[in-house]
Amino acid sequence: MRASELIEQNNQKREFLTEENEKYYSNLMIYIRTRLSLSEQQSEEVLMEMLEHLIEGQHDGKTARDIFGNDPKGYADEIISQLPPEEKRDLVKFFGQITINLIGWFLVMRSIVILLIGLTQEVDTTEYILPSIILVALILLLVTLGVKVIFALINRSAFDENTNEKMQMIKAGLYGAGGFLVIIVASYFIKDFGPSFEFPWTVSLGIGAILLLISWLMKKSLSYNPSAPY
Amino acid sequence: MTIRSQLLKGILDGCVLAVIEKETVYGYELSRKLQEVGLADVSEGTIYPVLLRLQKNKLIIGKMIPSESGPNRKYYSLTESGKNALNIISEEWNQLSVPINALLLKGEDSNESK
Repeated sequence: MRASELIEQNNQKREFLTEENEKYYSNLMIYIRTRLSLSEQQSEEVLMEMLEHLIEGQHDGKTARDIFGNDPKGYADEIISQLPPEEKRDLVKFFGQITINLIGWFLVMRSIVILLIGLTQEVDTTEYILPSIILVALILLLVTLGVKVIFALINRSAFDENTNEKMQMIKAGLYGAGGFLVIIVASYFIKDFGPSFEFPWTVSLGIGAILLLISWLMKKSLSYNPSAPY
Repeated sequence: MTIRSQLLKGILDGCVLAVIEKETVYGYELSRKLQEVGLADVSEGTIYPVLLRLQKNKLIIGKMIPSESGPNRKYYSLTESGKNALNIISEEWNQLSVPINALLLKGEDSNESK
C-alpha cells in the first residue's frame, strides 16, 4: 500500500476513535508526520499499525494512555528514533516535482498577467534569462524555507496543551506575507541584464501547462502525497 | 523505570523474535501473545519501536495487507538473519540464566534466613 492510500484510510479510520483517544493519537501523528526527513512510507505504516491497535484496544475497553503510556511525546520520540530516513532518490524526485509544479504555475500566472494588462496597454514580453532564474530560485528557496518553518511550528506545538492556534496562524501568515514582500522587492530591484528573448504569453501558457501536466504525472507515480500533512 | 522493565528492555527483542518465529503475527496479536506468556509488564505500545528497530536491522520483514472493510494489518516474519539472531540470543540467554539463577535464587534463600 502506498503512503497516500494509507493517509486516506487513516483519515477515515480516525473517526472510530473516542474523543480522548483521537486527541492523543492525532498529536502523535502530527508530531511524527511533521518530521520531513523520515521515510514517509515507513512513518505511515507504523501510524496505521498504531491506529489499528488503538481501535482494537478501544473495543477491549483500553485507552490510548493504557496502550502507549502517559508520555506521548517521549513515546513519539522513541518511534522517530527508530524510523529510517527518507531515501535520497525519493527526496530528489519529491523536490523535482515541487520545482516543476512551481515553475509551471509561475509561467501560467505570467501569461494571465500579461493577457490582463494587455487588455488596456501594450506589454513588453521580453524576458531576461538571468534575472528570471534568480527570481525563480528565490521563490523556491522561500517556499522550501516556509514549509520547514511551518512544519517546525506544528511539530513543536503538537503536545503543547497551551498552544495558541491564533498565534500560530499569525506567525505562519507573517512568514507568508514577508516572503511575498521579499519577492516583490527583489523583482523590482533586480535590473534587467544579460541575454534576453521574446516570450509571448501564448508560449508561456503552453510551457506552463505542460510543466503542470508533468508534475501531476510525477505526483501520481510517486508514493508520496505532497499535499497537506493532515 | 522499575528493575523489571529495565531487565525486560534488554531481552525484549529476543522475546519478540521468538513469538514471530512460531508464526507470522501483526502488532496487536504480538502484544497479546507476550501478555499471554506472562510478560504483562510490557506495555502494548513498546512493541512498535522494537518492531521498527528489528525491521531496520533486517531481522524481520513486515507486509502491510490492505483490506476493504476490515483493518489493515502488517504481518511480520523472520528473515534468515533474524533466525540466526534468535539462535544467538537463545544461546546467550541459556548461558546467562543458569549462573544467574544459581546466584540470585541463593540470595533469596539468605534473605529469608535473616
